[in-house]
Amino acid sequence: MALLELKNITAGYDQNIILKDFNISVEKGEFVSLLGSSGCGKTTCLRLIAGFADPMNGQILFNGKDYTGVPLHKRNFGFVFQSYALFPHLTVFDNVAFGLKMRKMDKETIRREVLDMLKVVDLEGFENRYPREMSGGQRQRVALARALVIKPDLLMFDEPLSNLDAKLRVKMRVEIRKLQQKLGFTAIYVTHDQEECFAISDKVAIMNKGVIEQMDTPSEIYNKPKTEFIARFVGFENFFDLTRTGSCAFKAANGAEIVTGSDHASHSCKGCIRPGDVSVHAAGADVVNAIEGRVMVSTFLGQHNQLNVMTDIGEFVVSTDQTQVFPVGETVTLSLAANKIILID
Amino acid sequence: MNRKKNFVWPLLVLPGVLFVTVFMLIPLFSLCLTSFFPDQTFSLSSYFSLFKDQYFQQTFVRSIRLSLLSTFMCALLGFPSAYYISKYSRHKGMMMAFAVFPMFTSPVVRSFSWMVILGKRGIVNNFLVWSGLFAKPQDLLYNEFSMTVGFVQLFLPQMILALIGVMDNIPDDLTLAAGNLGATRIGSFIHVIFPLSISGLVTGSVLVFTGCMTAYTTPQLLGGTDTRVLATMVYQYAMSLRDWTQASVVAVVMIVCTMAISSIFNSMSRKINPMA
Repeated sequence: MALLELKNITAGYDQNIILKDFNISVEKGEFVSLLGSSGCGKTTCLRLIAGFADPMNGQILFNGKDYTGVPLHKRNFGFVFQSYALFPHLTVFDNVAFGLKMRKMDKETIRREVLDMLKVVDLEGFENRYPREMSGGQRQRVALARALVIKPDLLMFDEPLSNLDAKLRVKMRVEIRKLQQKLGFTAIYVTHDQEECFAISDKVAIMNKGVIEQMDTPSEIYNKPKTEFIARFVGFENFFDLTRTGSCAFKAANGAEIVTGSDHASHSCKGCIRPGDVSVHAAGADVVNAIEGRVMVSTFLGQHNQLNVMTDIGEFVVSTDQTQVFPVGETVTLSLAANKIILID
Repeated sequence: MNRKKNFVWPLLVLPGVLFVTVFMLIPLFSLCLTSFFPDQTFSLSSYFSLFKDQYFQQTFVRSIRLSLLSTFMCALLGFPSAYYISKYSRHKGMMMAFAVFPMFTSPVVRSFSWMVILGKRGIVNNFLVWSGLFAKPQDLLYNEFSMTVGFVQLFLPQMILALIGVMDNIPDDLTLAAGNLGATRIGSFIHVIFPLSISGLVTGSVLVFTGCMTAYTTPQLLGGTDTRVLATMVYQYAMSLRDWTQASVVAVVMIVCTMAISSIFNSMSRKINPMA
């Protein structure tokens, strides 16, 4: 049984529906990320789970129990806010101790647990500081400690690293992942940063307009996107229509034969490929999956050049080696690596 | 724009400073002078004789007691209203207009309406007799009770406004965080909203306290002959007895008291929220 399950959730306010018939399930000990652009409903989803808002319809099940109407202070869930939401009038110690005090634990236990937790997040000796006397990264760790010290059944992160600079962001995400593996908590992590989310998660749910387009391990999503939206999200830039002619054999719109590494069930489908998996050759070269085209734009991008090539089946974006120079207007032959072509509906 | 080298901007503050200096600071200074130089020589005799006077002692204690009580009542009534208006109300603008509305009528009119409400044949007494709680109408007017009621109604809006101003700046994430960490609504009010509203409470309390200490119409109209306060006493000395020295002595005592109590409010707040 899944630890957390959202069933047919509809949420929003007034006429504005943000989530419609939304479903997700999270297993115990998993680190699940919700990834999507702003306004896709990922934060709304997190707030529903935390109990900050109620769904208009549907059920939130935790350990099989209906949590839909349970008030937020009775759910033993941790939440790390984008703004950190540290209490400005309390010291670091009292911020971290807040949840334990609300649980009416005795002073000695609170003291021990808080100091232990501050050690875990590497903030020993900061007990008496106030949040405004600390840096962004330190505040972030206080927020983390405060959420972790209550031993939550589920820990939620709402874009926790978006207020940090790039270097610190990378360092903190490694620390969060390390902590999660050490303490074994179940986590739901909301972000719009693809790299961050792939680096940190066991599973990624990519959201678009209030629904999950695909939920899989990061490598599965990266290598086998199921929809065009996901494919575009993970860096596929070239899309073309295909008609199936046999096992792993297809025909492009201009009649060119295309062989692929995998097969597809339906008669017509779409193929897609990343710019780096297309090689460029002189016109007329005898290569696999050859497509003729004319160089429209050549852009220098440092490590490689990017070419925009117009072909009969659409414009292709390809990256080439710096040593390969193709002047604008020249006719070239593109070769699509067979096992790199992904087939989507 | 380089603001550092600009000499024009500081001039903007000049009219205000001039006005306050000419019409407030200088008179205040001369007031103090009068009280310390009763016969052209420096002497604290006016102060000594005043503090020895039993009538003054009673008035002094009553003034402070009533002002503190009214301040406390305003805080007690104002806090929940301000909290609701700031955090939960869907019609915030309208609610604030309602809260401020009493300020549009003059204290004189309001005192007279209290006379009607609290009088022997007023609705309160009518209700008390009708409900059988009391056999005959009670004395609700011309005592400390009616004065406190008048003060609270007079100054409650200022308390509410001061509190809303501060509460609006408390991010909602903080109450959510408190709830998420296991605090009930009351718990998050006590541990988060209240300490973070302290600065507003202090501002409001200073406004209310000063207002009560210096109010003249309300105690004059709603108080009786045996419930004089410092403000009415100043008037008595100055206008009825023509004793300007004694009037200025009482005035100085009022100013010092108000300032002292305000600073006590401030230091109390720093104990609750050291970051305010």
